[in-house]
Amino acid sequence: MAVTGRLGLLTLVAAFVPLLVPNGAVLLGLWGLLLLGVVVDLLLAGNVRALRFHREGDTRVRLGEVANAGLVVENTGKRRVKAVLRDVWPPSAGVSPRTATINVPAGERRRIDQTFTPMRRGDREAVKVVVRSVGPLGLAARQLSRPAPRTLRVLPAFPSRRHLPSRLARLRELTGLHSTMIRGQGTEFDSLREYVVGDDVRSIDWRATARRNDVFVRTWRPERDRRLYLVLDTGRTSAGRVGDIPRLDCSMDAALLLGALASRAGDRVDLLAYDRTVRARCENASRTGLLSQMVEAMAPLEPALIESDAAGMVSAVMSRVRRRSLIVLLTELNPAAFEEGLLPLLPGLTSRHLVMIAAVSDPLVDEMAAARGDLAAVYDAAAAERARADRRRLTAELRSYGVEVVDAPPDRIAPALADAYLALKAAGRL
Amino acid sequence: MVTVAEPTAGQVAGRRLRSARGIVLVLLCVVVVGVILAALKPSRKPDDLDPESPKPGGTRALAEILKGRGVGFEVAHSVSTAAPRAGTGTIMVVTRPERLTRSDLDRLGGTSGDLLLVEPGRDTLTALAPGVEQDGPTFLPQADPQCALQGATLAGTASFGESETYTVPSGVTACYPESGKPRLVQYQVANRMVTVLGSARPLTNGHLTEEGNAALAMNLVGARSQVIWLIPDVQHASGDQTGDRTLSDLLPRGVKLFFLGLMVAIVPVALWRGRRLGPVVAEALPVVVRSAETVTGRSRLYRAHRARGRAAEALRAGTRDRIVPLLGLPRTVAQILPAQDPGAVREVVLAVAARTDHDERTIAAALYGLDPGQAAQSWPTGQGDQLDPGGGEPVDDAGLLALADLLDDLERQVRQS
Repeated sequence: MAVTGRLGLLTLVAAFVPLLVPNGAVLLGLWGLLLLGVVVDLLLAGNVRALRFHREGDTRVRLGEVANAGLVVENTGKRRVKAVLRDVWPPSAGVSPRTATINVPAGERRRIDQTFTPMRRGDREAVKVVVRSVGPLGLAARQLSRPAPRTLRVLPAFPSRRHLPSRLARLRELTGLHSTMIRGQGTEFDSLREYVVGDDVRSIDWRATARRNDVFVRTWRPERDRRLYLVLDTGRTSAGRVGDIPRLDCSMDAALLLGALASRAGDRVDLLAYDRTVRARCENASRTGLLSQMVEAMAPLEPALIESDAAGMVSAVMSRVRRRSLIVLLTELNPAAFEEGLLPLLPGLTSRHLVMIAAVSDPLVDEMAAARGDLAAVYDAAAAERARADRRRLTAELRSYGVEVVDAPPDRIAPALADAYLALKAAGRL
Repeated sequence: MVTVAEPTAGQVAGRRLRSARGIVLVLLCVVVVGVILAALKPSRKPDDLDPESPKPGGTRALAEILKGRGVGFEVAHSVSTAAPRAGTGTIMVVTRPERLTRSDLDRLGGTSGDLLLVEPGRDTLTALAPGVEQDGPTFLPQADPQCALQGATLAGTASFGESETYTVPSGVTACYPESGKPRLVQYQVANRMVTVLGSARPLTNGHLTEEGNAALAMNLVGARSQVIWLIPDVQHASGDQTGDRTLSDLLPRGVKLFFLGLMVAIVPVALWRGRRLGPVVAEALPVVVRSAETVTGRSRLYRAHRARGRAAEALRAGTRDRIVPLLGLPRTVAQILPAQDPGAVREVVLAVAARTDHDERTIAAALYGLDPGQAAQSWPTGQGDQLDPGGGEPVDDAGLLALADLLDDLERQVRQS
């Protein structure tokens, strides 16, 4: 039940009546009249208890896009229900419209069209549906809130997928499947085929040519069925914002591009998110389902404000990965965290696997390093130079362990990581 | 082409005035109301005409003089204490008569002994000085006696300030008139002498010394051997017949019902505002911390401690890292300090000098922080000299700024060469 502003206003007006007619009975009579009105309203208001709610439409939406959904209101009662309805969602779900008026005849259903424009990644749960049906006098209303569960999963935006076609073209060049039919780079023998004009004469297989009547060339392709293991660091360093997005989201974007590329290249990709415990996992996914599974696994991830446990991460990886793999660690090049955590453990990892570390650098630091003008700017520049020097030193140290390091600003990290992977593939180092 | 005419200054001023009209009007109202309230504020203070008060409005001076002259002087704070003392040969000075109630006035009317009424109101006059009526104030401060009253004629001109004037019945003594209306009236009422004084000023400490005020006050008050100075207290003045009545007894029934109605109306209004259409949804927000926060923090630390040496060294190392590969030297050379390998340092400095218009000493000081004095010994002659690091800290902030600019210039010239 709820009362309206009209009731409050009328009670207020009734309070002025004794100034004209100083009689308590008149006032009591007015109050009684209003109370009667409230009772009548409550009796005649739509039966909100007889409403049933059903949901339909999108349950997944990529961040930055709009999801369309519907809330179907079914009236199982015997009377028409006119009401105001509010579908309660967390603010960041971006539900529109916030309130809707419904007019459902008895036994029928009506659909409210909704759009969701979520502001952040992750799962959004519907809280409740609240209906308020005001009586004919407009003095009181029946109100009811009822759960209508629904989860809207907001997936990572994957803005770097625009880089995918160009990287796939590069991959086709590598595998020799490209339309230019150049001699494929790679180390794995693929097949023999007839020579066509334009083929590199060095790739003619003379032995095969001697056996047949035609000239045959060997084609090569990069190794297939290699394994990639992507490790997302969701610890405290992943919470820092570069530009306006958390470092974790940049890392996810890069991981998605790399996963998409590697699965097309015929490699198997697994994903692990870790800080002090396993946050998400995506293993043994099929080639076609990989991307959607990775996105699903990543969607609810949030940076945890704790120091990552490098030893735990290494042991988790070592226990899961038996074959030699490319382990891509998406983290931040933080000298203090590395020297205490990962550096001492690296030799154990690099002896069995190829390790690549991808880190998002902050363009703001480069801006600060170029700042001049006043004393504060020069001190900023000095601090930024110091930070960059620390980063360079750490990078050099990591490379001395045989670790590949990709360090790029947020807008270039995904293509840079993809290029580093392609380079490894071309060099046959996987 | 359509041009929009620039508004003239007058138009702009008019527009501003119109837009500010409401504010000006409100301010004007506030000022007017303030002035009216200030004018309505009673000019009387609580202790005016109090024989204990040494303030300008008090009458302690007069009281002391009278006592010094051997006149009996008693102060009464209520009629009930004053009335029994009054008798033949006494004069009761009735001050602040506005505090007297009707019963007080009746009781005073029943006493014997002379009365001096100071600035009496209409009720007081009706009760104690029948026939005398108020006739508006006069603002001329001074007046001459112009009457036969001996106390007045001896005192001469007196200063009254703002004073009430009176219309009097025939046959009474009327003194200090202003266009025929006297400020001081004295006449016989039922065997006693009643004096009406239109202004309290001649009695007060502040004005006792003006003109003939002191004499007039002495003559009027000290006319009898015993003075009863009645200055009623407010709490005593509030009559006993209204004491038990509360505010609710005085309010009309309709108003009480109105307030009851208002209180009841609060309930539906509160219910209306208090009932939301659904709950407030709380949501965990992500932490917002800039990734470059630590770098900014380090910069502030440098600045707070004026760590010019460290800042300069960081800038130099950064510039060396970028310059050395451009010179065709291995990247590792950038990290070599003069103390470790003077030869490598010399190579870098000479290479930079060849590509820029700066001399070797400046470059050595800029890139490695070498003391110009030491550099002077080492350059350009002398091979394999031990080059000391240090001495590279800029002496002041301007030095640090200059170093940053010099390093930028070196880098730019090397890049362009």
